[in-house]
Amino acid sequence: MASKIQPSDRTVYDFSSQSQKWAFVRKHWPIYVISLPGIIYFLLFKYIPLFGSIIAFQNYNIFKGIKGSKWVGLENFQRMFAYTDFLQILKNTILIGIYDMCFAFPVPIILALLINEVRVMMYKRIVQTVVYMPHFLSWVIVGGVVVGVLSPSTGIVNHLLALFGVEPIYFLGENTYIRPILIGSGVWKDSGWGTIIYLAAIAGINPDLYEAAQIDGASRIRQVFSITIPSILPTIVILFLLQIGNFLDFGFERVFVFLNPLNNENGEIIDTFVYRAGLVDRQYSYTTAIGLFKSVVGLMLIMISNTFSKKMTGEGLY
Amino acid sequence: MKKVTSVALVAVLSIGTLAGCSTGKTDQEQATPSSVTTAAKKAATKFSISYPTTTNTGYHTRVDINNDKWVKKLEELTNTDLTLRVTEVNKMGVLFASSDIPDVVGSLGTATDKAMSGSVEAGMFLPLDDLLKQNAPNLMKTVPKEAWDAVSYNGKIYGIPNWLENPSRRATFIRTDLLEKAGLQPPKTIDEFLNVLRKFKAMGVKYPYGARENLKYADTVLGAFDVLPYKEQFEVVNGQVVPKFFDVENMTKALNVIMIMFDEGLMAKEFATTTSTDWLKNIRSGDVGIWSSNLVSLNDFRTNIPNAVKDAKIDIITSPKGPDGKGGYLMYQPVIGAHYISKNVKPETAAEIVKYFDWMTSEEAFKFFTYGIEGDTYTVVDGKVKYKEPTNKEEQEEQDHRGTLHSSHESTVNRLKMQTDPNGPYILNAFDNILAKEGLSGIGFSPNLEADAKYPDAASPGSDAAPKIIMDHMIKMIYGKEPISDWPKVIEEYKTKGGNEIIKEATDRYNNKKGVLFLGKKQE
Repeated sequence: MASKIQPSDRTVYDFSSQSQKWAFVRKHWPIYVISLPGIIYFLLFKYIPLFGSIIAFQNYNIFKGIKGSKWVGLENFQRMFAYTDFLQILKNTILIGIYDMCFAFPVPIILALLINEVRVMMYKRIVQTVVYMPHFLSWVIVGGVVVGVLSPSTGIVNHLLALFGVEPIYFLGENTYIRPILIGSGVWKDSGWGTIIYLAAIAGINPDLYEAAQIDGASRIRQVFSITIPSILPTIVILFLLQIGNFLDFGFERVFVFLNPLNNENGEIIDTFVYRAGLVDRQYSYTTAIGLFKSVVGLMLIMISNTFSKKMTGEGLY
Repeated sequence: MKKVTSVALVAVLSIGTLAGCSTGKTDQEQATPSSVTTAAKKAATKFSISYPTTTNTGYHTRVDINNDKWVKKLEELTNTDLTLRVTEVNKMGVLFASSDIPDVVGSLGTATDKAMSGSVEAGMFLPLDDLLKQNAPNLMKTVPKEAWDAVSYNGKIYGIPNWLENPSRRATFIRTDLLEKAGLQPPKTIDEFLNVLRKFKAMGVKYPYGARENLKYADTVLGAFDVLPYKEQFEVVNGQVVPKFFDVENMTKALNVIMIMFDEGLMAKEFATTTSTDWLKNIRSGDVGIWSSNLVSLNDFRTNIPNAVKDAKIDIITSPKGPDGKGGYLMYQPVIGAHYISKNVKPETAAEIVKYFDWMTSEEAFKFFTYGIEGDTYTVVDGKVKYKEPTNKEEQEEQDHRGTLHSSHESTVNRLKMQTDPNGPYILNAFDNILAKEGLSGIGFSPNLEADAKYPDAASPGSDAAPKIIMDHMIKMIYGKEPISDWPKVIEEYKTKGGNEIIKEATDRYNNKKGVLFLGKKQE
């Protein structure tokens, strides 16, 4: 049965003395050694830098360091909320995040299910490779390609529209189109990459299940809905929760390459604002404060949705 | 961390070309033989030095620059023992955040430029006034006051600059072959300029005027009406220091002209998304009739355009003038960059370092940095220098690297190099007779106004970039999404979103003469 990820049998060890405990550790030393690199990695690169976040409450100066810089309390956060366009930027960030979750998140799942149904091995491999290739292009290149494709004078999209007698549309010069472009380019670039984990989960499903279903007369579609989807549901839920945690982290570069004065009203997100504010004058503390705000919101979202998910499906991150 | 690298990458890609040339000129009456060679008996001065660059590729990324022939020759010429580093300007913050700061740090722009990360204000560097007076007679004689001011902080000199005597560096380029075909004269006024563009359009030129995103290097019309919305383009109006775009009348006129150009297809309909790469490609493939660029790019255009269009002729013309007889482009800061000596350097070493920089103005230095090493990159035939011009990208990058190492000299144009350059006389003539007579002066501030940091949308992010609020509305108006007559509303919006504080601070600083830059011609 490949359904839930069950916790391993909880064996509670009772050690009557310290020496017994050490004997136990010595006996299983390889396991402890294997876990070391991971622990060190998280300490070094995740936990220690966390303490750097305190510069959000300072007026940080790189030459004075954390010890020498002035404490300013919540001033940086107040400044952030006082910024006139902050609500618009937050709205954009949340909307783009929601669109991303509704439209971009399901694509790899559907794609994986479709690829899984392809019977010709050769063709399946080719399709898989073709769809995950764009992941290796940088956003700068993808941006250039998309801008070219959507260009009103030379782009293929407007050429096709012209065949139907539609006037050329300047897609990147309109507030209306920027969000679909952001989501669409992300789907094109990363959905193939996202299928890998789902295909791996599908490959792990017990073939006996399908055999039994066929004997019971289930069609291929029936099998997908009754066996494949329920089996990969835990994977979907986990990935969905992780995605929610990164809700406000849409990514700086993928937006920056598409922004211009004609569309930034709907396109500017927190990340691009941080870049601009930080670029003008080395605002380390201010930008850290914004980053901290994003992390706290992300953490709250994860906790809320994890609770929900545990209630609804019994699945959760922790 | 990923975000940091992507920011850096984008910054590299979007960095302006404000500083991309390493050229110089010798002073005619100055022929002091190097005093350094006579002192060869003295032990070589040992110090580490970082040179600034704007690129993340090139010679210094391929070669061990501490062991190549250039550094060895430079050490021999100056009796030093150098540890070289080349630092990207947008990674300077990282350099200062690390504890590993070289003895001498090179940067682009002024002493209080973003790249310096506030290090001068924090007292990381030595004040150099006395050291220069004692050890740098040539620099004291040749560097103009404005350049010293630009590398000073609180009245003390901190940097040894690469300075510019002619701050007007951008020019209007035209395809003379098209102009002759059209049977027209070079346009002198904005009306004639529009006529030429219309004629080009009728002749089938794809983009009569080369426009590009954010109107960067596409501000000929804004210059003619003297409303460049840039960082060092403030002016005094009724006792207040205000940005030039406050001039509603001229701003509306300028926007109207650009809108005519846009509506009639005299420039790219999608200029709001035309990158510098596309823009350059269009020019090089011969699709553009008139454009603006740095004068020193003339060689590039005269080499590349004829490859696409057989009989293309490219010339520099006086920029079209607006109603008040003004024209041209922004004036540059009086310095391209400078080097700063760390406060941890011993006084005697600091004195020797200053001498090293003083040597840079000598003829020996110009010869070395321009032509390289005799018998290797150049030979002398009948008293004339025969220079081995670079033939491929690698050699070109090597030549650029050698130029990068040339600090503290007049950097308008390398007059020595121009002697062996086929376009040399033309470029020199354009500098002296066209550019020296145009360009728009303005008031700027160094260090930056404090209000700039508080209101990023109302502050100009760079010397040739407009505040976000202003640029957004300008582009929307040109695209017809907002009426141009609304410009006064734009000014009001700018004021409420931080502009008022910027103007107040600018006026105070100007009246108290604190860190004020005058760009361009002397103001009375």
